[in-house]
Amino acid sequence: MSNSVISVISRFLEEYTTKTSNKLKVVDAYLFYILLTGALQFLYCLLVGTFPFNSFLAGFISCVGAFILGVCLRIQINPDNKGDFLSISQERAFADFLLAHTVLHLVVINFIG
Amino acid sequence: MAQPRVFCLVLLTVALGAQALTPSHHLSLSDVERLKGLLSQPFTDLASAYYSIVGLSKLGAAVADENDACQFLKAQLDPMSVDSLFFAAEASQAIADCEVSISNETRDILLAAVSEDSTVTQIFRAVSALSSLGLPLASQEVVAALVARIAKEDNVLAITTALQTATRLSQQAELGGILEEIEDLAARLDDLGGVYLQFEEGLEATALFVTAAYTLSDHADTEPPLKEDQVIQLVNSVFSKKSWDSRSEAFSVACAAAALSSNRFHVPVIVSTQGPATVSHSQPILHLLVTDILSNPLASANLLVESAQAVASKSVVLSQAPFSLRDGIFELNFMASQPASGYYQFTVAVTGDSRLVANQVELKVKVSTEVAVTNMDLSVVDKDQSIGTKTSRVDYPFKAKGSFTADSHQNFAMNFQLVDANTGVELTPHQTFVRFHNQKTGQEVVFVAEPDSKNLYKFELDTAERKSEFDSMSGTYVLHLIVGDATLENPILWNVADVVLKFLDEEAPAAIQSKTLYMPKPDIQHLFREPEKKPPTVVSNTFTALVLSPFLLLLILWFKLGANISNFSLSPSSVLFHVGHACMLGLMYVYWTHLNMFQTLKYLAIIGSLTFLAGNRMLAQKAVKRYAE
Repeated sequence: MSNSVISVISRFLEEYTTKTSNKLKVVDAYLFYILLTGALQFLYCLLVGTFPFNSFLAGFISCVGAFILGVCLRIQINPDNKGDFLSISQERAFADFLLAHTVLHLVVINFIG
Repeated sequence: MAQPRVFCLVLLTVALGAQALTPSHHLSLSDVERLKGLLSQPFTDLASAYYSIVGLSKLGAAVADENDACQFLKAQLDPMSVDSLFFAAEASQAIADCEVSISNETRDILLAAVSEDSTVTQIFRAVSALSSLGLPLASQEVVAALVARIAKEDNVLAITTALQTATRLSQQAELGGILEEIEDLAARLDDLGGVYLQFEEGLEATALFVTAAYTLSDHADTEPPLKEDQVIQLVNSVFSKKSWDSRSEAFSVACAAAALSSNRFHVPVIVSTQGPATVSHSQPILHLLVTDILSNPLASANLLVESAQAVASKSVVLSQAPFSLRDGIFELNFMASQPASGYYQFTVAVTGDSRLVANQVELKVKVSTEVAVTNMDLSVVDKDQSIGTKTSRVDYPFKAKGSFTADSHQNFAMNFQLVDANTGVELTPHQTFVRFHNQKTGQEVVFVAEPDSKNLYKFELDTAERKSEFDSMSGTYVLHLIVGDATLENPILWNVADVVLKFLDEEAPAAIQSKTLYMPKPDIQHLFREPEKKPPTVVSNTFTALVLSPFLLLLILWFKLGANISNFSLSPSSVLFHVGHACMLGLMYVYWTHLNMFQTLKYLAIIGSLTFLAGNRMLAQKAVKRYAE
């Protein structure tokens, strides 16, 4: 059982490192960073307490929002998905990403207190 | 003809027992002096000279210097003016040995003024001047002119002046039409609350109307068509004002007063007490003054008590008793009828003159007496009646020798009687209080002593029941008896005894609660909302570092992946885009620290639009470059 899991994981990692382009790996690294940050904030909240709750929410939602937008960007610039996004060029995807982030940051800063 | 009618009216009022209206205002002696004072002020022209001289003569007084006045009149006279002639002629008539010189022209001018074309005032002044100067005039012509003018000038003052004019005419003239005007004018009077009757034109018009009506009625020997109540209401209106605005107003009041005190038909009478209406054993005589409205005593009047009824018991004490006259004051020894103390309603009637109006008057008379406290017994009674009571008698005004002690098992009792010192009759005054005063603490507790059915006063203090009033403070209390009433001449404040009260469970605080009632209370400190417990700074600093650490990891990963900025083109749009984007992130920080949403949105709009334009350019260039490859 564990053997198959290990083999699946190792196969996945091998395919990932060879098949994915550099651009996507850059975005993946960014997504991994956001994930870590969000997880650490959640850990703090669990361990120490929810004071101040609004700040915790702002930070956590910032991570979640950024992660989602990053995922959207990755999907849109992936050449394999080109068929799904004919009218959206890579630059357009990036511009959308920036605009959405501006709105997200405005909300987060408003809420952070 | 007229007199029996007035008499019948009086009888009718008595028979019906109706409360006839009596004057509520008249001119007291000081009011008359004030009126004379106003009229005696120095005069500067003929009109004020006329008001002063004639007004004072109506009040029975004279101007300060008659010769001077006469010279003034002669000097100021303008023989061409009807008004001037009127004032001078009338005023000179009031002064003895004062004659105004006249000429034929004077007569012609005056006669010319008597016509339908002059105003009523002009006619009046001309007619009065002619009559005062002793010149002949044709009464019938005057009447015709007056009737014509009344039809044209239908106001109160004009008709009153016409009435006055008619008093100067011969008695043979046809004055009937003008006499009827009195009744018509009386109908125009306004009734205020059933107490006042006056013209809306004011006091002067009302007073002049009264003067004219009575003077004309006297002249024509016809009773004026005014009812008794109307006369009284007119008296109230004319004499309610005690300080007058102008000489002419004072003159009109003086004329009205003279007319009402000496006409042939209606003379209002004023019955008043001299001092307070109180009789007692020391002052048994009731003094009453009977005067006319100028406060002159009536020459031929008799005063009679029709009935004197006790207000409390409604029993009639006196009936049909005459007053005796002494030095102009009517006296009656009321105490001779041995009335009990209290209030009595007197109905007195003034007789002797059929002209008298409002001659039935109601008065309230008080009979006061002195009170004596008898049979004062103080005792301490045991509640369960097992131990015999100790009663001691105290006599007024002495104090009981020993003190009385009462604790929670005993009651303190007080019995006494209040009697009239002169007659021995039992009294129940309004105020019978028992006062306990603790001299150490300043406490004062007052109770009411009530009489029983036999008019014996009893007071009992249940120590246990009443401890709340005493705040459970045991100690020596000084006992006072307070007796008072409006009909008592000797109110009593009697220190009867000392009472020692013992209360159980002294819960009361050492200081009197009433004393601390008005002291400042302890301060209330406001408790602010406690801030929530924060974790120690070490922990938060650690976690801050921990949360920021993945950024380092990101940079390391990116470096490993080979991400670089070698493709960075230094075109203006890309530079502007990056600068703008950096500004936007900086704005977020400033928003967090300083700004509010509105300001932020404003700046964001500016920077954002620039960044957007630049970014658009830059990405387009990139796209072009990419497609070119």
